[in-house]
Amino acid sequence: MTATKPILLAEDNPRDAELALAAMEEQRISDKVVLCHDGAEVLDYLYCRGQFKSRLKGNPAVVFLDLKMPKVNGLEVLRTIKADTNLKPIPVVMLTSSREERDLAESYALGANAYVVKPVEFHQFLSAVKELGTFWGVINEPPPEGSRSSN
Amino acid sequence: MFDRESSSSMESPTNDQPQVPLAPAEKPTPPATGTVPARPDPFWRTPIMWFRTLTIERRILAGFSLVFTGILVISAVSYRNTSVLIANSGLDTRSHELVQLLSTIDVTMDEAENSHRRYLVTGEALYLEAYKTVVEQKPTFITYLNDLTRGMPEQQHRVDLLNQMMERQVNAEADAIAQRDEGGFEAVMKMALEGAAKQELGAIHRIIAEMESYERQALRRRVMESAASTTNTIVLLGIGALLQLVLLASVYYLIRHDITERRRVAAELKLRGELLAAANKELEAFSYSVSHDLRAPLRHIDGYASLLRKAVGESLNEKAARYLQTISDSAKQMGQLIDDLLVFSRMGRQEMLHTTVNLDQLVKAILYDLRLDLQGREISWTIDTLPEVSGDPAMLRQVFMNLITNAVKFTSTRPIAKIEIGVDRRTSAEVVICVRDNGVGFDMQYAAKLFGVFQRLHRVDEFEGTGIGLANVRRIVHRHGGRTWAEGMPDKGATFYVALPTRRPRS
Repeated sequence: MTATKPILLAEDNPRDAELALAAMEEQRISDKVVLCHDGAEVLDYLYCRGQFKSRLKGNPAVVFLDLKMPKVNGLEVLRTIKADTNLKPIPVVMLTSSREERDLAESYALGANAYVVKPVEFHQFLSAVKELGTFWGVINEPPPEGSRSSN
Repeated sequence: MFDRESSSSMESPTNDQPQVPLAPAEKPTPPATGTVPARPDPFWRTPIMWFRTLTIERRILAGFSLVFTGILVISAVSYRNTSVLIANSGLDTRSHELVQLLSTIDVTMDEAENSHRRYLVTGEALYLEAYKTVVEQKPTFITYLNDLTRGMPEQQHRVDLLNQMMERQVNAEADAIAQRDEGGFEAVMKMALEGAAKQELGAIHRIIAEMESYERQALRRRVMESAASTTNTIVLLGIGALLQLVLLASVYYLIRHDITERRRVAAELKLRGELLAAANKELEAFSYSVSHDLRAPLRHIDGYASLLRKAVGESLNEKAARYLQTISDSAKQMGQLIDDLLVFSRMGRQEMLHTTVNLDQLVKAILYDLRLDLQGREISWTIDTLPEVSGDPAMLRQVFMNLITNAVKFTSTRPIAKIEIGVDRRTSAEVVICVRDNGVGFDMQYAAKLFGVFQRLHRVDEFEGTGIGLANVRRIVHRHGGRTWAEGMPDKGATFYVALPTRRPRS
């Protein structure tokens, strides 16, 4: 069930995180959001290790991934997710400031499900995050638990 | 209808500067004859000055031509000298043969005289053998002599004389023999003692001696001539070889100098290329970080301003609300500036496509895309049939998008905006497209500033914009190998020109 699955938000910048959470709050989905501050934390969460050792098992409904993060950057996280047969079905949405063509190209080449450029304008950012949260966290039906990619 | 003079004068940004009088250093120096006594140039100065004006290729060509000409001259002279030597040696052989033949004739004639005298005395037929031999051999001798003296009239003349004398000797001897046969020894006694052709034989000896001495002189002359000619040839070959060496050495020096220079330039170019590549890479990293990092704080400013407005809610007074709005607007504007700047920087680095672009369709597509923004505006469009050009469709779209939105923007104060897009002129080398409007125009003295980055001729509260659109236009058109310029008058509208080459530029 979508409603019970968490939304994983990887965002190293606390202000961006706060703004994103504020946007989610308006949609009343902020309680579903799990915030990770770098790529390593995202991987810890997905592999249930470190501080997430005792979390409830199961993949998140979606991962919102920033590109530029300390320790392990977004593209590396994406590569790891899409290379792991258990994690591969998780939808990954790149949520970044970069409009650079090579970032876009590389993200899609690695198997990103969507690529969203964070708008400077808060209203647009707000509506983007709201729509993303609603679509991926509520409307979209995530892959069933235990599903594995065929390859 | 177009003022082409002034249009072409606006092409380069340096043209807007007022004509500064020439610096003193650039003034033509007065003729030197006035102060310094004129010294006549040495005669060799002129060809050297001329040589200096030549390109390296022509210098090398000139050097090789000289060497070639030298070789030709030396060869010709050597050939001539050698031919003379060969001819002389042929003549020498002939002379030797002639001398030998003459002495044979001499001996033979002597023999004939002696043997015929013996016959006269003895009446022994055996003694007539030598005489008969002479009679038989005489025509052969004469033919041979004629052969050997061909081309030497003096000697030929002597051969004729010799022939006559020999004839006379033989005839005299024949007479004497006949008389002996008729009248016995007594009839020819005197002749037998003195010889029948004593005189003729003497003449023959003389002629032969003359001929021999003539030949010996000729031989000596030829030997001297050959020696001189050989010396000449050797000297010529020596000097020629030396000159060739000098010339070749100079040509070698020229080529070497040129190659060294070229290598140096190539190395320098390579170094500069590397520096440029490094700088470009740095720039790319910079623009990447601008794209990523600079945008985040702006988003935060706008975001927190919005959150603050929401948090304070209704209690916000009008002034405070305006401040918050200004904060948001400024952040948005800076975001726009960053975006525009990134596009501008990308336009300079991006790989260019080279395809045929139909400007007609391009402009129609732009107007279609703008249709929502144009709602509520009264614009009279005049659009010519536009040609096809070679270039990058996306970049050219950006050019015309910028020019058209500019025209729309700066005519917003007009009740009826008039915008024309047409072909200004067309040559074999380029096609000039113009976009003309009846908007607020500009003062021509600022025309060159129009295409600079962040250059604006209007205040932001008059017309919004970041001042990057025309910089982008110029950059793109330059990358296509074209030119841009503008004409305008305050309040009388503006015309922007884009000249694109008809042939694809070399990249």
